[in-house]
Amino acid sequence: MHLHLVKKDFLLAKKYWIVLLIAAVVLPVFIQTKLTAGGEFPAFFLSTLYVVFLLFNTVSMMEDKYRGAALLCATPYTRTALVAAKYLFIFSVFFGCFILYTLAVLLSPVTISMIDMYDFGRALLLFTVIFGVLIPVQYRFGYEKSRYIFFFLVFLTPFVLPGIMKALQHDNAGTMSPLPFSSPLLGLLFVLLAFVIGGISLSITIRIYSTRNL
Amino acid sequence: MKIIISNTSDPPIYQQIKNQIKDAIIHGELKEGEMLPSIRALANDLRVSVLTTRRVYDELESEGFITTKAGKGSFVAKENFELLLESKRHMVEVKLTEAWETARSLGISKDELYAMMDLLFEEGEE
Amino acid sequence: MKPILEVNGLTKQLGNFQLKDVSFSLTEGCITGFIGVNGAGKTTTIKLLLGLIQKDAGEIHFFGENVQSKEREFKSRLGIVLDEGYFYEGLTLLEMKNIVAAAYSHWDNSLFNRNIERFGLSLNQKIETLSKGMRMKYAIALAISHHADLLIMDEPASGLDPQVRMELRDILLEYVADGKSVFLSSHITSDLDKVADTIILIDNGQIVFSEEKDILLDQHGLVKGDTKELNDQTRNLFLTLQETEYGFSGLTKDKASVRQQMNNTLIERPSIEDIMLSYIGR
Repeated sequence: MHLHLVKKDFLLAKKYWIVLLIAAVVLPVFIQTKLTAGGEFPAFFLSTLYVVFLLFNTVSMMEDKYRGAALLCATPYTRTALVAAKYLFIFSVFFGCFILYTLAVLLSPVTISMIDMYDFGRALLLFTVIFGVLIPVQYRFGYEKSRYIFFFLVFLTPFVLPGIMKALQHDNAGTMSPLPFSSPLLGLLFVLLAFVIGGISLSITIRIYSTRNL
Repeated sequence: MKIIISNTSDPPIYQQIKNQIKDAIIHGELKEGEMLPSIRALANDLRVSVLTTRRVYDELESEGFITTKAGKGSFVAKENFELLLESKRHMVEVKLTEAWETARSLGISKDELYAMMDLLFEEGEE
Repeated sequence: MKPILEVNGLTKQLGNFQLKDVSFSLTEGCITGFIGVNGAGKTTTIKLLLGLIQKDAGEIHFFGENVQSKEREFKSRLGIVLDEGYFYEGLTLLEMKNIVAAAYSHWDNSLFNRNIERFGLSLNQKIETLSKGMRMKYAIALAISHHADLLIMDEPASGLDPQVRMELRDILLEYVADGKSVFLSSHITSDLDKVADTIILIDNGQIVFSEEKDILLDQHGLVKGDTKELNDQTRNLFLTLQETEYGFSGLTKDKASVRQQMNNTLIERPSIEDIMLSYIGR
């Protein structure tokens, strides 16, 4: 049942599929060539963020425009299922981007390297934090209002992004974590933490959505 | 069977339908054991509420004109047919008694009353 | 006939609008028309029934069971047609159907396909290309293809031309033929109320009456006559009264008194529209 709701989100964004498919492959390569130092992590992370955010935003726009959720909630679909499907959708797009990136690595004429467990974990964790805030905010304030909030955040990025980029690159430049774990294990820990955060965010959104007027 | 619902006459809609079905049964237009339309079909055809046709069938059944078998439908009743005619006759007697009482209180004579009845028969035959 | 849905004391404050203590019950096998002007509270009531809006107070029972405790079972036995459709317009009929169908465990796809064919729809068409009438038929096809016991429709007739309204009427009559029930909201000016067995009139967030259609028609009379017949006493017999220099025409709920107190009047059976306008026009 959830799968049909996830499929619905993909269908809503079907116009953008090809563009985003290409973006998911080409963007990491492009970013990689532009970044002199730093390696594969920022390339993977930023391109994926771009793709997922665009898809998420498109689907939200469609939902806001057509309000199909009202009809679906009048069917045996529960509100919880609708929210859970949204998280599943975001996660599956993230995972799809990861697969596409791996394909890009194999096919790219420019040498870029694979994402290891540590980077995957880091990306997923960052991702979950970002969308773990974005989704509840959108469900709470609605598409229109939350768009202003996000615009403001995007507006801030030119000021904040260079700092983040530097930090990311610096982090990647080889200083191993001070924690007594090997990096794959740390990556796994990040994935686990991401699931915990995702779960908390999910339950908050479910709570917000359960009393919303449709 | 023909059923006409008048928009100007006073009896309630269900009464009009009931009387016409009853007449159809008494005049043999609806034969013993014949199946009646379902309450929904009758309601749809007459453009009335299904609750009205249900009331009609319920009353016809309690008066012994029709029987309803669950899941099968409603049928024109068999056994009570003679009884029904008898009850009809009785009704005529009751009405006549009423008329006679009124006539008597107004001082209308027997001959006058017969004459009125003759007139009614003549008008009816025309 | 048993009650299929019972609503008790439904209350909701929504901005400036208040739905006040709405109670009614729907009889099995009947088409119930839920009628009122725009903003009377029809859509709010339907959304409360479906849990799309949270109620402030009240209880809803479906076949005797509280719908809140058995929400999914309740909804799987409902067919829904919402006024604006609430479809994802960019999808095709088939894509939208697949999403909706997956929610129902008793989805009957061959029944759905029969309806689609009968309504002259094409599954590969995009929903946004449908005309108003087509869209309504598609919504109905989606709503009646899982053998629902109760079909709830919000303003199905609004914006439809008379011919499509006739078709809609036939579809509904066919649907209830085997004992299923329909609850439909409608404008007062829509002729769809003619198909209803029971009428519930809502005005300003409150139920004005809930009555069998034919009883309403029997109880009320459209009286026409000479204006000379009107005086302070007889005027009180009417719910509404229109006077011209040629005569008057008024609606009464007391035919016996009219007959007693007024001579030379013509009493006709009113239309449902006449009756409803007389209750909310005051």
